[in-house]
Amino acid sequence: MAGRNLFATTNARVVGAFCVAALLQLAGTILIPGYSAPFAVRAMLVLASLLAVASIGQTLVVIMGGIDLSIPFVIGFANVVAAQLYGDGWNFFLVCALVGVLALVIGGLNGLISRSLDIQPLIVTLGIGMIVQGLVLLWTAGFPSGSAPPVVSGFVSIGGSAGPLPVPWLVPSLVVLAAFVVLVLERTPYGRRLYALGSNPGAAPLALIDPVRMWMVTYAASAFFAAVAGVLLLGFTGSAYGDVGQPYLFQTIAAVVVGGAALVGGRGSYLGTIAGVLVLTEINTLLIGLGFQPSAVQAALGLIIVLLVSLYGRERHVSTTI
Amino acid sequence: MNPRLSSISRSVGFAVVLLIILLAVNLILSPARFQPGSWGALVGLAAPLIGAAIASTPVILAGRGGIDISVGPLMGFVNAVVIQVLFLKAGISSPLLLVPAALLIGALVGAANGFLATVVRIQPIVATLGTYLILTGITLTILPAPIGPAPAWLKALAGPWSLLPLLLMFIGWGLVRRTPYYDQLMAVGSDDRAAYTAGVDVTRVRLIAYVMAGILGGCAGLMLTALIGSADPNIGPTYTLIAIAAVALGGVSLAGGRGGVAGAAVGAVDIFLLQSVLTTFNVSTFVLQIAYGAILVLAVMLTALQERLAMRAR
Amino acid sequence: MADRAASDFRGLAIRDLVIATEASPITQLIAPGEIVGLAGLDGHGQELFLKMLAGLAPPLGGSIELAVPGSSHKITGFRRAVASGIAYLPRDRRANGIFPTQSVLDNFAVATLSRDTRLGLISPAARKARYDVYRKKLSIVAPRPDAPITTLSGGNQQKVLLARALALEPSILLLNDPTRGVDVATRHVLYDVFRGLAADGMGLVILSSEIEEILLLCGRVLVFRENEVAAEISGEAMNTDSVITAMFGRSA
Repeated sequence: MAGRNLFATTNARVVGAFCVAALLQLAGTILIPGYSAPFAVRAMLVLASLLAVASIGQTLVVIMGGIDLSIPFVIGFANVVAAQLYGDGWNFFLVCALVGVLALVIGGLNGLISRSLDIQPLIVTLGIGMIVQGLVLLWTAGFPSGSAPPVVSGFVSIGGSAGPLPVPWLVPSLVVLAAFVVLVLERTPYGRRLYALGSNPGAAPLALIDPVRMWMVTYAASAFFAAVAGVLLLGFTGSAYGDVGQPYLFQTIAAVVVGGAALVGGRGSYLGTIAGVLVLTEINTLLIGLGFQPSAVQAALGLIIVLLVSLYGRERHVSTTI
Repeated sequence: MNPRLSSISRSVGFAVVLLIILLAVNLILSPARFQPGSWGALVGLAAPLIGAAIASTPVILAGRGGIDISVGPLMGFVNAVVIQVLFLKAGISSPLLLVPAALLIGALVGAANGFLATVVRIQPIVATLGTYLILTGITLTILPAPIGPAPAWLKALAGPWSLLPLLLMFIGWGLVRRTPYYDQLMAVGSDDRAAYTAGVDVTRVRLIAYVMAGILGGCAGLMLTALIGSADPNIGPTYTLIAIAAVALGGVSLAGGRGGVAGAAVGAVDIFLLQSVLTTFNVSTFVLQIAYGAILVLAVMLTALQERLAMRAR
Repeated sequence: MADRAASDFRGLAIRDLVIATEASPITQLIAPGEIVGLAGLDGHGQELFLKMLAGLAPPLGGSIELAVPGSSHKITGFRRAVASGIAYLPRDRRANGIFPTQSVLDNFAVATLSRDTRLGLISPAARKARYDVYRKKLSIVAPRPDAPITTLSGGNQQKVLLARALALEPSILLLNDPTRGVDVATRHVLYDVFRGLAADGMGLVILSSEIEEILLLCGRVLVFRENEVAAEISGEAMNTDSVITAMFGRSA
């Protein structure tokens, strides 16, 4: 039956994406000497973890039937503001708290405007994102200063180690965070309401789901994790850069979709997104390792996204939705 | 006013009011820039954005999440191929060859997008994201750095003849509107299930919308080439999001089935005029960006509120 | 009849409810254990009336009040209505009922999620136990409750939606054309369920497009015409002819 099929394919997509990631790793190991060397794998895990953090919000928002284009702008905002304030001598935890609260407000605004007025979130999040970035640029006059506190640098450093583990604390922390996100989605009222709202917005209010509240909370969470990614990226690059989030605009969407979520809502999982993140990171590393120019890597990435999604991410024909 | 006209004016209303205000402000602030003598250059300056907005429209009208985010990169790709490959390397300079070539590239890219989004049935934003990456990648590969010049006739299209390509775009769309296809497009956009049950070939209608977007995008690529008078791999993609913003500003519903090319063009002109006002104030590009975002959000909010009030009044 | 609306009344009290401009007000009492039918030609106000009872549409005048032992609540909105003890089963299953990508269990529990939580987490066992009660009561046929609801037949989907409404443990149940697109066998199961609920003391209001259904189930019927109750028929006087006559506005 059609419905049963759908259920089976949702899990199959996640497994499929993990398999693709594993195959790419295998291909890399065969084709490129040192591809599976400890340092290379560590680097890949760190890059993948950063993308995975940035993609949490996109996953939640897409399950709900929305999209968040403000993620790269919020990443840039958090990155620059954290560096600047820390550079001005603020206590770093105070800085983090402030950035987090501001991000929650930005995200809440995204959700409130989109849902309460029933406007395409694509436009709202883009507009809000542009405003945020503009304000940050204005504040720093386009030349952000400041630097990363050692605690963040150490947390994400590719050479770092987490106790006995040969990876920086970022990686095990992400595993814990991922487990938390999966638990929230699968086992909390919020998670179940999120899927229901994405599955049929028309039925949600009758099932006592408050759409505006859900959208505000979810977009706020999305912006919050984008801000976390922004601060982590500060540790990774060492200095502030307003456009540091730009690659994450399309990468978060691509990761979510490669992981089996439907942009119409109601389907997807964070585990799937992690699989998508691994696939994207593998492709990137593999192609650069094979000596392709960044421009060619980009073209290949586009081609592979399309190929992968056409393998298992196809939508239903209109005739089957009647 | 007949109901159809009034519904159009309602959805485009805000953009038109904004247009009039911005035009007035511009005329007061910098009358010299808006002298009849400089109209050609002025239109040429605005043309790529207007073209990009128009090109983004058909697919959005076709509904069900239809969107083409590859319009900007397509413009850049056309720009690179026309100048670098055809004009400089192959020595072709005749408009009789270059224009059809540009439109053909657009049509092919559009057909590829349409195939992916309607036949393979990949979600449109993902399918066109794929083409976005592919096109930017190829553009950077064939043209790693900006290069010039462009043929003289092409540069004239950003000067004295700048209205010509825009007029052709409008005439082309006007012809489409007179065909039964247009009604099918709007029907599919507002309710694809109903259209399908009524016997409309939904897949074909949407596929054609993508091809049209590609052809219009190719045309916009020529306008961009005319404006910059050279080839630059980095400019095209910047038009993508701003063009979609212009479309939304112009009252085209991103849910499909509502709005039109005229609204999109008005939205694009709004953005251009806003840019122009802020430039005369000599504000930084940062303020410009804040203003873009604010106007965009406010415009869609006001449009939505206006629709609500109209709904309540009924 | 309005005299009975004293403080000792239990059930749904509708006083001077105006559902459209220039329509005369409606005063009705829905008592526990009663099954009241709503009939009328499409768009003559019966659906609007039902939605107002559910708090889904604001009335133009008058009040709706639910009295349960010990307290009474004014119905001013849907959430308020549900909190007071009113459940509503929507008409269009696909548009306003099911969550197609979600499992049968999810669809059942979505309106009552907090009842299954232990320390903030949903306990699958508690949820399954709660579902099983209604599965038996409504004889839901769903071989795999963790499969999407779209794997079920229309009748079973409807039963799951009914279970969702009953899980709220309402004292008044509002049903908007509950057997639309449901097969005959399932219909009779639903009829038995409705009668059983009424026997247990629940008040039911059933809007139906089929007169036979109303005659079969209801103690009395309100026939709507031009946003007013054109006739209230009960007992012996209730038959196909009298209802149809009232629907078409000829004097009964």
